[in-house]
Order: sequence, then C-alpha cells, then structure tokens
Amino acid sequence: MRGNSLFVPGDSGLHRLHPLTKLILSLFFLVLAATLPSLPWLLTAFVLLLPLAIWGGLLRPLLKSSLAVIIPFVISLSIIQGFFTPGETQLFKLGDFVFTLEGWLAGLKVASQLLLAISGALLMMLSTRPDQLMLALTNAGLPGSLAYIVLTAIQIFPRFQERAQVILEAQQARGLEINVNIFKRIRLLVPLLGPLVLSSIVDVEERAMALEARAFSRAGKKTSLLVLKDSGWQRTTRWCLVLLMIALIGFRVWQVFV
Amino acid sequence: MIRFKEFTYRYPNQVNPALDSINLGIPDGQFLGVVGPNGAGKSTLCYALAGFVPHFFHGSLAGGVYIGKLDVQQSTLGELAGEVGLVFQNPFNQISGARFTVREEIAFGLENLGLVRKEIERRIEEALEIIGLEEVANRSPFALSGGQQQRVAIASILAMQPRLLVLDEPTSQLDPQSTQEVFRILEKLARRGGTTVVLVEHKLEWLASFVDRVIVLSEGRVVLDGKPIKILADEELKKIGVGQTQYSLAATAVKKKNLVPKSKSLPVTLKQAQSFFK
Repeated sequence: MRGNSLFVPGDSGLHRLHPLTKLILSLFFLVLAATLPSLPWLLTAFVLLLPLAIWGGLLRPLLKSSLAVIIPFVISLSIIQGFFTPGETQLFKLGDFVFTLEGWLAGLKVASQLLLAISGALLMMLSTRPDQLMLALTNAGLPGSLAYIVLTAIQIFPRFQERAQVILEAQQARGLEINVNIFKRIRLLVPLLGPLVLSSIVDVEERAMALEARAFSRAGKKTSLLVLKDSGWQRTTRWCLVLLMIALIGFRVWQVFV
Repeated sequence: MIRFKEFTYRYPNQVNPALDSINLGIPDGQFLGVVGPNGAGKSTLCYALAGFVPHFFHGSLAGGVYIGKLDVQQSTLGELAGEVGLVFQNPFNQISGARFTVREEIAFGLENLGLVRKEIERRIEEALEIIGLEEVANRSPFALSGGQQQRVAIASILAMQPRLLVLDEPTSQLDPQSTQEVFRILEKLARRGGTTVVLVEHKLEWLASFVDRVIVLSEGRVVLDGKPIKILADEELKKIGVGQTQYSLAATAVKKKNLVPKSKSLPVTLKQAQSFFK
C-alpha cells in the first residue's frame, strides 16, 4: 500500500472490525478527551485504549506516532501553563517568573487531552484501509465523488512529489543551482512550480475524461468488489457508543450551565 | 453498425473544424485502423465516438454519430460508458487513483456499471488473463512500469465489455513484443467476440498485418479508406504526412534504382516484402 495512508496491513480482530465501528470508537475517544474532567481520568482512558492497540498488533506504531506528536506539546504547554497560571504551590523560580504545580498540571491536562484524541484517531487510521472506510461512509450516505477525492488525494500526492523531484533534477541537470541561501531558494520555486502546475492542469482534463470512460458519472446504483463484514454486536456497540457520547456531552454541558 | 452522418465538429474558439463532413460506416466486428498526421482529427474522431464530443468539449457541431441505434448526442456520458470503451494514450492519467491494487482498479469501472460482485470477479480474472497481468494483480497500479500501466488501462476498459472499443495510440509506451500482443488481443476481440475496434496508431507495419480496414485522416476529412494493403501502399501517404512502412520505404529505394519494374505495387507487410525482393 503506497501513498500517504497510515494503514498498517494486518489480519487482527481490530483490522477486521467494520470501519464504522472503528470510526465511532475514535470519535468516542475524541469526546472523552473533550469531556473528562481531570488528568487522572484522561490518563486512565488512555491506558484503557492501549489493549485495543495491542489487539490490533499496533502498539508500537501507535505509541511512536502519538508520542512524536505529543512530546513537543507536553514541553511547550508545561512551560507556558506552568509559568503563566497563578497557583499556590511554587515549584521553582526563574528570575521573577514562578513555576506553579497547578499550572504545570493544567498544561499536562491539555496535553493528555490531545494524546487521547490523537491515539483514538490513530487506532482507526492504522487499522483501517482508507478505501474500506470510504466504502463504509459511501454506503452510509457520503457522496461517491467526495470519497473519490479523499482516496485519490492519498495516492496522487506522493506522485506529485515524485514529479516535482523529476522537474527539479531536470532543472539541475541544466545548471540550476539549488544549494544556495534561503532567499535565493524561494526564487527557485518559479522554475519548479511552472511546469508542475501547468502539467497538472493539462492532466486534469484527461483524468476527467478517463473517469467518464469508466462510467464514473453513470446514474444508478454502484456496486463494490470489496466486502465489508458487519455484525449484530458491532451495530449494538456502535449505538451504545453514540448514546454514551451524547450522555457525556450532555453531562458536560449541564455542568457548565448549572 | 457505427455511423458518422455528415459529421462536422469545431472546438470552441477554433476557426477550422476538427472533423469536416465525415461520412463513415463501420460494420460490427470490424477492426479499423485510423492514421493521419498530427492535428488531422484522429483524437477528435475517438472523442466523437465516445461522446466526449460534444458532452465534454462542447463547441459547434452538425450531423450525427450513431452506435447501432444509439444516438451519441442524445445519450449521456454515463450511458455511453458501458457501450463505448475509450483507451487514452497516457496510462498514468487513466489510473483512477481511488483503488489500491490492479485487481481493484479493473473493478472500478465495473462497480460504476453496477454489476454484481460475482460478475465483477469473473470479468477481472478474464481481463487479467487476456492482457497478461496476473503477476501484478495485487500490486499498486502506481508501482508499475509505463508499459504495464498501459496494459492496466486497456484491461480496465476491456473488462467493461463495450460493444465498441476505441483506442487512441494505446501502444505508445509498449515494446515491440507487447505491441504485437495488444494487436493480437484486439484482432481476437474483433474476429471472435464481435467487438468493433477503432484503433489510432502510428505503427503502420502492425496495422498492415492486423486490421481489416484503414482510414486516413487529413485536416479533418477522410482522404483514403480501404484495405490496409491497398491504402498503406498508396504513394499519397507521404504527401499527407503519414509516412510509409519500412517495407514500402525499402521498396521505393529499390524502385528508384530501376531494379524492379515501376508498375510493381509497394509491399506493406513482411510477407509482401519477401516476395517483392525475390
């Protein structure tokens, strides 16, 4: 599977779940991240997510990707919240600036919210083929053309990068100097973007025709080679998760206003 | 039967018509070769058959194109897609990008036609076998060579089983052996399957030995029309800007030196060349 997709091929139970189940699961973690009241709750939820990743054989890629995103946030949020949130417990002082425990914990809370939301999304993306997800969404009423755009974006962008590289190399072969300072480098974009954009515009017309030749705009019901397996317990789980999410959001809103 | 009736078409903002009063009948199951210099209207002819003229390009037109009882102008592109299959020159642009393996790529058109899964699977296997793509069936179409992508493009259209198959220089990226294979497949489709095949091709030697009939386009008109042996040997070809087969060129050179009688007609196939030079 080449392309920008995060999908890790596998045959685990998680992989075999219906894409909608995984999508709703990831939304559920997003709602948890937004509604759980404190750091311990959030971390508990994250720990409960890990067995799912282990079930899919995806613990390593999940931790790798989510930590890579989250660590810069942990550092920056800790610093900012720690120094700028007033609190009673002073941890240390830098000149006139006081680093408070309350601030630091507030920073960690935001970071852990991000961690939970991102891990939930990764759980779905790592274990679900993009075309299966799109098929599930199309079956649920998403317009086919929208699904097409998402799927081609995943595959065509890397081709775009390859083409840009070819153009750059061709220009270099004709004497374009690319190892120069940053200001000259911006000017380098002109000989790169010209051919890239022009050739892409020409391609669009032909692509559109080729799609028509494959009956893309044909009226009537479309079928699918892919088979999505669904089951009663998954449907039940999805509804339960949706109800839980509504309850969580409702509870949170009630807390804020009452 | 496919018919062009007094068909004239002009692209938007163009003075000269791309196709000019074309009258042409193509019987079912015929393998027709189309040649002509650049800008002669070869691609436009293909687009007119598949309905891209006028449904995609607009512009002004007169006359009509009919595929059996189907009036191309009165049909939508969606309706035409199952009847007319069009293979373009650039294979990269024909890969939908919405599917991740060659097998699924071939399925894309069939899914749009709304075929049941069993039939889709059957047609995929058939197309893979005919075109010889079984070994790469589970690879990403983007990971293939230009020649292989071109085969994927042909297989994808072939699987839709159109009554009329139109190919606009489909062998541009193929080596001689693969080119021959494609010609054999097309010949087989026309002879046995009853599919009408319209092929735009520069490789005259191949046309000479495979197609039933050749038409020569020049400035939007059909200027020559007939059996390949007769048309491709015509001395007019050079003036029109189509060129000649390697065999004809060699024979012309020999004729100039008065080594053979001037009346002897030019060879266009290997067989003819052998008897010519004996």
